[in-house]
Amino acid sequence: MGLFALKSRQRFAPWLGLVPFLAFCLAFEIIPIIVLVRGSISDSDGVLTFANYQRVSAPLYVRSLWNSIQLSAITASLGTLLGLFIGYAIFNWPSERFRESLIALSDVTTNFAGAPLAFAFIVILGSNGVITLLFERQLGLELYPAFSIYSYSGLVLAYVYFQLPLMVLLIIPAFAGLRREWRESALNLGASTRQYWRRIGMPLLLPSLLSGFILLFANAFGAYATAYTLAGSRLSLVTLQIGFSVTGEVRHEPGVGDALAVVSLITMGMCVLAYQLLNLRMRSEMR
Amino acid sequence: MAYLELQTLDKMFGTLPAVRNLSLAIEKGEFVSLLGPSGCGKTTTLRMIAGFESPDSGQIILDGQDITQLAPNKRGTGMVFQAYALFPNMSVYDNVAFGLDVTGRPKAEIDARVREMLALVRLEQTDKRRPHELSGGQQQRIALARALAIRPRVLLLDEPLSALDAVVRVALRSEIRRIQSELNITTVYVTHDQEEALSISDRVVVMREGVIEQMGTPEEIYRTPQTRFVAAFIGTANQLEATVDGAGTARFHQTILRLPSAPPVGSKIALLVRPESLAVHTTMPADNGRNLLEGVVQTMTFLGAITRIEVLVQGERVLADVSAEERVHLAHKQQVWLSFAPDACQVMQVQS
Amino acid sequence: MNQTARRPSPSGAAMIGLFLAYMLIPIAATYLFSVATKWDATILPEGFTTEWYVTAFNHAYFASSLTNSFIVSLSAVLIGLLLVVPTTYWVHARLTGAKPLLELLMILPFGIPTVVLALALIRVYSFPPLGRSPFLLIGAMIVFSMPFMYRPVSNSLAAINVRILTEAAYNLGASTFQVLGRVIAPNIMPGILSGSLLVFATVFAEFTLANLITGAGFKTFPVLLVEFTRRDGRVAAALAVISFTIAWIASLAILGIARRGKTTHETVRAR
Repeated sequence: MGLFALKSRQRFAPWLGLVPFLAFCLAFEIIPIIVLVRGSISDSDGVLTFANYQRVSAPLYVRSLWNSIQLSAITASLGTLLGLFIGYAIFNWPSERFRESLIALSDVTTNFAGAPLAFAFIVILGSNGVITLLFERQLGLELYPAFSIYSYSGLVLAYVYFQLPLMVLLIIPAFAGLRREWRESALNLGASTRQYWRRIGMPLLLPSLLSGFILLFANAFGAYATAYTLAGSRLSLVTLQIGFSVTGEVRHEPGVGDALAVVSLITMGMCVLAYQLLNLRMRSEMR
Repeated sequence: MAYLELQTLDKMFGTLPAVRNLSLAIEKGEFVSLLGPSGCGKTTTLRMIAGFESPDSGQIILDGQDITQLAPNKRGTGMVFQAYALFPNMSVYDNVAFGLDVTGRPKAEIDARVREMLALVRLEQTDKRRPHELSGGQQQRIALARALAIRPRVLLLDEPLSALDAVVRVALRSEIRRIQSELNITTVYVTHDQEEALSISDRVVVMREGVIEQMGTPEEIYRTPQTRFVAAFIGTANQLEATVDGAGTARFHQTILRLPSAPPVGSKIALLVRPESLAVHTTMPADNGRNLLEGVVQTMTFLGAITRIEVLVQGERVLADVSAEERVHLAHKQQVWLSFAPDACQVMQVQS
Repeated sequence: MNQTARRPSPSGAAMIGLFLAYMLIPIAATYLFSVATKWDATILPEGFTTEWYVTAFNHAYFASSLTNSFIVSLSAVLIGLLLVVPTTYWVHARLTGAKPLLELLMILPFGIPTVVLALALIRVYSFPPLGRSPFLLIGAMIVFSMPFMYRPVSNSLAAINVRILTEAAYNLGASTFQVLGRVIAPNIMPGILSGSLLVFATVFAEFTLANLITGAGFKTFPVLLVEFTRRDGRVAAALAVISFTIAWIASLAILGIARRGKTTHETVRAR
């Protein structure tokens, strides 16, 4: 009995070292999320209800969700596609110094998301932006109202600004992971370069492209500051709607913010989970 | 004209010469090893035959055809890389079938050939597996099957065993030789492992700094190295530096040694003696025409069948091999005499 | 990856040119705009001035918002260090079984949009002293930035094989304190430094949490910047330039550390 107590104490003692960290996570991460989820499925008296989710099915919220998904999908696709080609161009650049500088630039610019970046786009492409006026007065080309940085198209341009370098950073290691031996084996066995890419290169890049796309999707879906600065209340996105329910800038029915938050939490959570699973699989196979 | 001819090949990487004025003729069905330390140009030579590097000057002739400028995917050489060269996204079957598939062979022919190749490397049961599910040795056998499936005109192996552990390495070595003789395929084998090169090849080409140092049968390379580099690189050899002081004699410190030849008097030479050519005596033997060195035992290293002893002779370390019975009579710091026949050593000129 | 000298392909050069234009023009334009007198129809500004910076510096909230941002960022770095580094070391050295749990907790913040985090925290902590206070903001910032501290620290711990080093040091007679101070800490210092800089930079620039949790009650630098984007573009440009510059400095410092210490740092960012 005493021996058992001693043994179990020895086994569990190391876990005590995790207590401060776990307590923090519980207080600032786990409990708030649980409370949020519970709040989304109960009314003001705490009775279980799905009324909040029914309210979320109103056209305003469905549209905001749809807008968010669309914007995320478009910017993630553009980011993935452009990132693939630009990543390859960087990877193949002969000068190592320049290659490293470009990677460093991607590293910095992907972190430029947010208010300052949004404002930089207003500076060049706002209704009185430098490029807008330059086009108008020097070339006689009116960008507005066909294009507007404060609208959907402007948001796409600003989002791709931080999506593209993120994809570049994700895809360059994938190109580096394509061993020289595979390409040379393929050529040695009589394949053309095109056959190498179709049969070996692309299939091996595909998981990285897919996981990159998912990460970019999540990156755009959760973004708030860029959209808030550029579009404000002109455009309906899920994160903007949730934000309004916090600040009270727009009056929402109670509980709707919670339900919207849970919906976006699930969307993002699934993306991060899928990303993680894909990466685990890649790690076990690409040896 | 030989089946595969390399004629005066030169290759620079930037300002660094990788291969210099290299000529080599290989007969059909011959197994030739390129042997040397890393950076000696052996891999570059192999890659020039495969077409992954193009020589700055010189020609490569294969079966009467000049292939120097031919694209790698048109050469019909089968190459096995050091490791990890199997396509990880394909099954074993698809890997072996790849070369036939991209050249558009009919399905039935591909299937028959893949089965035949898998049987040849004795891995028939692995066809549905992925490369990462195989051991390193199995992967290299599949890589060999894949390279042979296209019926290459020449088989190129780039240190195919260097990533494997010792036991697998030895087993796969004889496997490669068996398959090579069975198919009678012309083979160029690159390695830095002299034991591997000597045991597997018809002919060994020792390279150093982009130049062929010596070529010959394994026995010639071992018995009669032409340079001190080859002597030091192949097996273990004592190199006694001496000065020729008479007709067929040389002075090694205070000792006069008899030589198998008569180099010019006054010239500096290195006398090459393998440890197994030295006899060890615990008492001073009578003079019977053998050269004699006197020294003190420093260390004894048990190597299984033999024990290698290190003897300090006039300040220099000399290695000698003794059998287990002889070993019993030896002790640390013991005075011993080493004898060797003049014919058992080789004289090499030393540039001053 | 041929060893022979290669020249860049024209299509590659064109793509990299476009990439550079896309990445650099908005930033460069903002820098120029912040010092331009008049710039509305020419390729370059017509004149230069420091007026907008003077206006920004003299603004009632400039100093306080900068101070607030520094307080929040430094607190997040400090508390993040205390929470993450010992925990990560402990899991690597003593409790490898807890690694999946730690990894999960460190990935979780990426799955929570910042608006949702802000909303959830406000729901739970609506009472004083936490409710909408700088303390709550700092707590939120730590949750949000934890992974940026964890990744480099965990990578540098993984690179040195903590267990064997710890055992080797004990075997040579070192005390626990000596093991930590003289063996482990110097080896993971590059990771700790890049992690701290990364946390500082991300927290400093974080707008969403600050706007939703404290808002006007405790203005941070990005909140002030967004206010100005709607009031005075010239001053906003000056403020944007200041935040870009801080981001550049932090990023370059991290890259310098990474190059010297060869720690791989992953940039995974959800905003």
